[in-house]
Amino acid sequence: MKFFSQSFVYDDPWSIVSLAFFLRYPNPYASHVVSCDVVDRRQTDSGSLLTTRLILKRGTLPRWAPQGIISRTESWIIEESEVDPFGKVVRCRTKNLDHVKVMQIEETQLFQQSQDGRTIQTTHAYITSRLGWGLTKSIESHGLARFKAHVQRSRQGVSLMMDFIRQARLQPMAFGSYISTIHSDMSFVVPETSVPSASGNNTGHKPENNHVPTSQNNRWFDRVWGVGN
Amino acid sequence: MAHSLSPECTPLKQAYDACFNTWFEGYLEPAIAHSKNVPQGQRNEYAKKKAEEFEQKCGAVWAQYKECVQKAVRDRGLEDLLEQARQENPLHHPPSTSEGSGSSSTS
Repeated sequence: MKFFSQSFVYDDPWSIVSLAFFLRYPNPYASHVVSCDVVDRRQTDSGSLLTTRLILKRGTLPRWAPQGIISRTESWIIEESEVDPFGKVVRCRTKNLDHVKVMQIEETQLFQQSQDGRTIQTTHAYITSRLGWGLTKSIESHGLARFKAHVQRSRQGVSLMMDFIRQARLQPMAFGSYISTIHSDMSFVVPETSVPSASGNNTGHKPENNHVPTSQNNRWFDRVWGVGN
Repeated sequence: MAHSLSPECTPLKQAYDACFNTWFEGYLEPAIAHSKNVPQGQRNEYAKKKAEEFEQKCGAVWAQYKECVQKAVRDRGLEDLLEQARQENPLHHPPSTSEGSGSSSTS
């Protein structure tokens, strides 16, 4: 078994980081996410929000992996989270549901507000292979290396969503409509596409500019998606 | 927005997500000053109010989406796998906030 642990500090307040964390799919750093569903969600009496999500991710196998080690490279992930808006804490646990003998990754994420108003993210992961065949160690090492890269990309995704949230909050848009803007698939791929706005609820600014600024983001999209994709 | 695991649920999921996200944004910033020191009673009252607001605004689309996705989960034979994982990993035992690096002990 391999263990990974890391802390990271965001300069933004907890509420924005947490919002970005929950809105993080889809983003260009998570193109391996095929689907993401809320299968259960409820609020406790004390006001915490419990969510279970089921996520399908596309994976790749290392070149040295034996043929037929798994029949497909997609994997179901369960994500269980608890949000406490009063204590300003998000706890989140994920693990893969299939291919568990080859490799199981259990990850916990913790987002807490610090006293100076920033947000501390703590990531823990356990990576375990029970495959045997003398491959356990290589698989776990490979899993750990991949996981480290994943943590980095995942943070980039959250940061990108925070950029969108910050920019959108500066726009004269109706509350809520920008979330569908940042989340419409088209806004990632073709940022120029006009976005259905909450017509009538705006403050009257020109609707054609009613979009998050994209000139800078365009370059990211091109780099990540490939131009014209 | 990300797709649902079942294409037929995707429109419902997107309608639900849009509604939930707007509600969630307000939920994350409770309009109660010094929220860490809020008495339990006031918390519960606020929580109840937010729950009612959700029910009123998003309750119907959530019910439809949930039904659709739960059927999709059953159809794909994922129900047991999911249930088992939730039993092993119950949310009432969340990861301890005190474990790990010292930098997280700020509250």
